[in-house]
Amino acid sequence: MRLAHLGLGGLIAIVVLVAVLEPRPSLEEFDPARHAEFASSWDGRVHIAYWEKWGSFERDACQAMVDDFNRSQREIFVHYINASQVNRKAMLAIIGGDPPDVVGLWANDVAPFAEAGALEPLDTFLEEHGLARGYYTENYLKLGMYNGKVYALPTTPMSVALFYNKEHFRAKAAELRAAGLDPDRAPRTIEELDRYARVLDEFEPDGSPRIMGFLPTEPGWFNASWGYYFGGELVDPATGAITADHPANVRALLWVKRYAETYGREKLLRFRSGFGNFDSPQNAFIEGKVSMEMQGVWFPNFIRRHRPHMDFGVAPFPTAEGVPGPRSVLDADVIAIPRGSPRPEAAKKFLLHAQTRGLAILCRMQGKHMPVLRPPDLFREGHPNLELPVFEAVAASPHSFLLPRMIAWQEYEHELSRAFEHIWNWPVPESELAGLDGDSRARKVEELCRAEIERTLAEVRETIQRKLDRKRELDRLRALRGASP
Amino acid sequence: MRAELRRTLVGYGFVLPWLVALGLFIGYPFIAGFYFSFCDYPPLRDPLFTGLDNYAELLGDRSFHRAMGVTLIYAAVAIPLGMVFALTLAMLLNARIRGQSIYRVIFYLPHLVPTVAVAILWLWIFNPKFGLLNLVLSGLLGAMDAWAGLFFDVRAALERGNPFHLGSLALPCAAALAFVAFGPPARRLGLGRRAETRLRLGAGACLAIAGVPFLHTAACWLFPADMVKLHSPGWLSDGTPLPACVSFAPSWALWALIVMSMWGVGQMAVIYLAKLQDVPVELYEAAEIDGANWWQKTWHVTLPMISPVILFNAVMAIIGTFQVFTEPYIMTGGGPEDKTRFVAMFVYDQAFQYQRVGYASAVAWVLFLVIVALTLGALRISRGHVYYEGK
Repeated sequence: MRLAHLGLGGLIAIVVLVAVLEPRPSLEEFDPARHAEFASSWDGRVHIAYWEKWGSFERDACQAMVDDFNRSQREIFVHYINASQVNRKAMLAIIGGDPPDVVGLWANDVAPFAEAGALEPLDTFLEEHGLARGYYTENYLKLGMYNGKVYALPTTPMSVALFYNKEHFRAKAAELRAAGLDPDRAPRTIEELDRYARVLDEFEPDGSPRIMGFLPTEPGWFNASWGYYFGGELVDPATGAITADHPANVRALLWVKRYAETYGREKLLRFRSGFGNFDSPQNAFIEGKVSMEMQGVWFPNFIRRHRPHMDFGVAPFPTAEGVPGPRSVLDADVIAIPRGSPRPEAAKKFLLHAQTRGLAILCRMQGKHMPVLRPPDLFREGHPNLELPVFEAVAASPHSFLLPRMIAWQEYEHELSRAFEHIWNWPVPESELAGLDGDSRARKVEELCRAEIERTLAEVRETIQRKLDRKRELDRLRALRGASP
Repeated sequence: MRAELRRTLVGYGFVLPWLVALGLFIGYPFIAGFYFSFCDYPPLRDPLFTGLDNYAELLGDRSFHRAMGVTLIYAAVAIPLGMVFALTLAMLLNARIRGQSIYRVIFYLPHLVPTVAVAILWLWIFNPKFGLLNLVLSGLLGAMDAWAGLFFDVRAALERGNPFHLGSLALPCAAALAFVAFGPPARRLGLGRRAETRLRLGAGACLAIAGVPFLHTAACWLFPADMVKLHSPGWLSDGTPLPACVSFAPSWALWALIVMSMWGVGQMAVIYLAKLQDVPVELYEAAEIDGANWWQKTWHVTLPMISPVILFNAVMAIIGTFQVFTEPYIMTGGGPEDKTRFVAMFVYDQAFQYQRVGYASAVAWVLFLVIVALTLGALRISRGHVYYEGK
């Protein structure tokens, strides 16, 4: 019995000792490598944490921007902390009351974070530093806004364009000319894109694809936005109503479905399963399995890394006949100060650097354009991305668009992607298409699939509209009961 | 009295850390989750009591219906398959053969591998182009096509045409031979025992030679699309049902997860094995004296004697399958078309992606009630079927 008492006492003592004596790891201990460089001012600085999503060379760019700030003054030291799924971790940290000082998010996160009250508004900050008007490209500033307030600021912007393999174009120059197409330029309309693709396709003796001219499933990141290239909208700008089944969106999915049925879903499934990761030499475009692909401003970095001598071109992504262009989906990485940031004043000083001098370092090192109206004079000189003018042009185009910035966007995007997959896989009996080719086959596919596409997109509209209506109802209820906003 | 009290206190003292942790990490979330399920609760705001609104929303939420449908279909297929597979494995491991312990360890080992590692490993196995499974399948089915082609026109069967050709005559010949060997003619012929055995073995071989191609061709005729696809399925990226003619059948992607779940039945098999070794030998001896064959002994002795363990495994399997999360989260992310999006993933997304803690709590409670209902159902059905030795 005595032993039992001793055992129990000992156990409790150990638990208490560990709980009391175990020191909390401090931010200052986080970065011993940089401690050496900044040893002279290390202890006198305010140390702040900057959580960001990037690894690899993009991380190096962020670190360079951070280092530049750290060297530019002796009051604050920023620790760059690389975190995967940074949005989920940041939200948990904010809820838990232990957030980082500064956090790098995706623009998609701004609405849910701002709605939850997880970010500090930055309007006053922008006014104080003269950044509120005429500094940013309007669309990129809008990405960080929610309900008329700025909650996050753009760091590296995104715009997309058509990448095309010039080697493939050269190899099929005669066939392209025979089809009335110019092998020395990229297609300008969706209809032309389809014609180029058909000429560039190559097949194995068993009929399975060897090279595909174009595949709307590659890289698979923009499945929700195809409708815009056909003149569609996902939200009515006037009423805010969901318009997933806009006729142009239906037309876009019919176009996608034609690809699935022209080449065969099964054959394409097997063909696509041979593609490697995006960041690998087996990337479908880099390896030469797909001749044309929608990709972003970041893509030349990866081509350079995996196939430095690849001869490729970049042009604005085609739009459907009659739809004005050039147009591109615009998005951005954003930087924000989370609610409960332990050192908000120091965070703001860093934020100012990240939006001025640091922004140029970051965008240049990541091979991207800047989200501001007037980049510094030297920004473009020797820029590593030789295709920058194309991306700058599409980003500045009045026809380029932002995806809806709304609380239920993630669910909306999920539903749209599901609809895309559903339509892609929706079985069209081979017997119905037997003997049909080219346009007659396309017309038959349209005839067979239109109703299902309309039904699927209407279902998406209803689902998301119901969620939005419910959200409005809850807001009204909160206002009525005087609950926390 | 004081000594008794002291002993009690010491006992409670030792279990206190566990009790505190239980109350803090299970009890509190359990009760709080119940309350939040009646609230609108974005994590950084105060919970707003909305009554049964979350539950009403669930009734009309198609995403939730899909997730629940996937979970129920998975449970309906994976639980019985897993139980039969584990029981078969346990009975094989119970056989007195050389290296028995090594086999037991080998079959239990997969259970010890971390789930994430298992998921990554199976991602490669299921790769349609380079995966091991498709390599074996295409080889096996290629050989089967060639073999069946000797007796039937497989291509015609795939197009729902006439699958018979001259070689098909082997089928009635094999059937006739089987009738002679197993039916009344064999007895009338008055062959000796040895000759009769030889005749039966021959008939059996003929049946196998003609029967397997027959089954293969029949499968091609009945399920042409599936049989074509089976040569090299897209597995995790294919959201179409298998069989294609049953719209609510599990998708190929879900079948992939079901196949993968069979890999981890080692623990269930070990529990069966422990109980199998507990079945009194006298019962088998008595059954043998009564002339029972292997099947009769299994049906009338083994299964009743291990029935409590079957029930236990069934209940654990029900609970486990309704909590499946890691494998689909890593391998498919819920796709394609949400065909592998389980309720547990739905709860996670609602709470951590969309910050709808109240709604996620309501879903979690519905999931809990479904598990409780199914467990009670299993217990009720088991009444009269489960034999407890002590009673």
